[in-house]
Amino acid sequence: MPQKVHCTITQVIDHGERVYSVFLKPDSLAPRFRPGQFLHLALDPYTPGDFWPESRVFSIASAPEDRNILRITYAVKGQFTTRMESEIQVGHQVWVKLPYGEFAISPESDACLLAGGTGITAFTAFLAGLQPDYPRGVHLLYGARCPELLIFRPLVEEACQRSSHLHVLYMVEQDSNGTDYIPGRINLDLVWKSLPDPLVVTYYLAGPPEMLRTLTQGLAARGMQQNQVIIDAWE
Amino acid sequence: MQRDAQLRTEILELVRDYYQQRYASREFRPGVDLIHYAGRVFDAQELVNLVDSSLDFFLTANRYSESFEADFADFFGLSNSLLVNSGSSANLVAITSLTSPQLGDRRLRPGDEVITVAAGFPTTVAPMVQNRLVPVFVDVNLSDYTAIPSMIEEAISPKTRAIIMAHTMGVPFDLDTVMRLAKEHNLWVMEDNCDALGSRYRGQLTGTFGDLATVSFYPAHHVTMGEGGAVITASDMLGRIARSIRDWGRDCYCAGGENNTCGKRFSQQFGTLPYGYDHKYVYSHIGYNLKVTDMQAAVGLAQLGKLEDFIARRKANFDKIYAMLKPYEEQLLLPHATPNSEPSWFGFVITIHKNNAFTRSDLTRFLEANHIETRNLFAGNLLRHPAFMNIEHRVVGDLANTDTITERTFFIGVYPGIDDIQLDYLNSVFTRFMKGERVN
Repeated sequence: MPQKVHCTITQVIDHGERVYSVFLKPDSLAPRFRPGQFLHLALDPYTPGDFWPESRVFSIASAPEDRNILRITYAVKGQFTTRMESEIQVGHQVWVKLPYGEFAISPESDACLLAGGTGITAFTAFLAGLQPDYPRGVHLLYGARCPELLIFRPLVEEACQRSSHLHVLYMVEQDSNGTDYIPGRINLDLVWKSLPDPLVVTYYLAGPPEMLRTLTQGLAARGMQQNQVIIDAWE
Repeated sequence: MQRDAQLRTEILELVRDYYQQRYASREFRPGVDLIHYAGRVFDAQELVNLVDSSLDFFLTANRYSESFEADFADFFGLSNSLLVNSGSSANLVAITSLTSPQLGDRRLRPGDEVITVAAGFPTTVAPMVQNRLVPVFVDVNLSDYTAIPSMIEEAISPKTRAIIMAHTMGVPFDLDTVMRLAKEHNLWVMEDNCDALGSRYRGQLTGTFGDLATVSFYPAHHVTMGEGGAVITASDMLGRIARSIRDWGRDCYCAGGENNTCGKRFSQQFGTLPYGYDHKYVYSHIGYNLKVTDMQAAVGLAQLGKLEDFIARRKANFDKIYAMLKPYEEQLLLPHATPNSEPSWFGFVITIHKNNAFTRSDLTRFLEANHIETRNLFAGNLLRHPAFMNIEHRVVGDLANTDTITERTFFIGVYPGIDDIQLDYLNSVFTRFMKGERVN
């Protein structure tokens, strides 16, 4: 059940390349949410009882167990995120409403998570809660422009240590010198080589529109059914 | 402070004064004022919330509805609470939700059987008929007025798909048996919890056992918002289906006055509609409009803050009336809780023993003449009512106890508006009757 919550910004992390993480402290406990759900953030003032102002959608990157702090991570892409970059500072107050969305990873089948850039935030709450007894295999391909923008790599590594069911490949677009990642973009040739049986997994996609479009078309061309491809896409 | 905010503060202060003048100090006058079977119990906060909401003039569900739904879900520890405009609407939404095509093979279909009882309120059963399901009636125990567990088991047939019953008068039905049978036979369970807000079974709140549950906020119930009800569920899928059925059957789940909360308003494919057809006008169910106004929720939110106290006072009043009437157990069958349960009592149910020197009518007429309200146990045997006589149904065994309820059972109030002065008066009226006094 979505609720509107007044929040204070407690921390802003500048990851470089105009990518930021923002930590929001709700005045009262945030409503319950599930991994993969998202929130709406408004920059303009809102008076309870009035109409909700213009807002943008961000995956909730923090774990559902902690309803005292909400984390989002965003890349500056348009007018709204440009405003966020200039206006959001520690102590700033904003309204959010949450939770929304049904981007839930089903334990009914093995999962292949394809995360590009800040799209990883659609998976971080799931990964943070991944337990050793999770009944299915999880394959994560996590790509970013440069190694520094693999922001949630520590969280992913922790999840790997907890669960032997999680298999991860890191990919970096603009740097080919590292040894702990694969250069280039997430692509289906690599997915097909990495997964033991790529035809029987469910694919979960979150990332930039171009990545989603390319991978969705590619998966359809490889015979994947519509219900095997779940996309975290917003307008 | 801006002028409008200042005016609002002044108005709400005046509302508090108005409450003090109009409602705060009313004294009960024995034999003059009614002892109601139920009613609104409120203080200034309900009026303040109501006026505050009206000053928002949003009218449809908004901030108070949001807060109520969140707090109500928290009370149950569930993730979905959905306000509707009555407990009966809640039953309609909940039962219709179980027919959703989105449930695949498990959906209820016309002709599927649903085990229930005939001794109760009609709108527990009416939505089954409206959805062309077949109610299968079992008899109830006298004294707790809930389904006889062995009869539930006996009622199961290859067509059985659900068990849908009320925790009548606040008394939890045998949830051990019902949940065991549901598991064994893959049945849906819907708890009509309208009479039982705050009741517990093995320490767990009723309404949290089944797939769905319903609650009523009519003034006779544990908390009120005038007209109102809720559907609660732990299932996100059932919650979303219920929301769709409540909100015209639409697929979109934006609240009134909101747009594109899914972020996909113009980029989805539904049926044979053009790609990107506005999600606000895509319909995935044959639905209704059963929503509340924010004014109702505003009153409900103030009431919710009093719920624990209300439950305690209902239990205390029940215990006092029980002690008061215990000397008359040879004439009156007094109510009892089912094993392992802790009812949040809706009322104090009395059945007149057979072959007494007096009838139910003798007693209720005497009580009413002395300003003590009585009510029958709702419809008694539903199947004896004109609307239900010809419905498609099945009866397992007989409904002998249900018929007894129809003829010899009634209840009086235990609600928190009844205080010790009223209870003393109640006691004196019963004593006079038991000594032989009658209405001419």
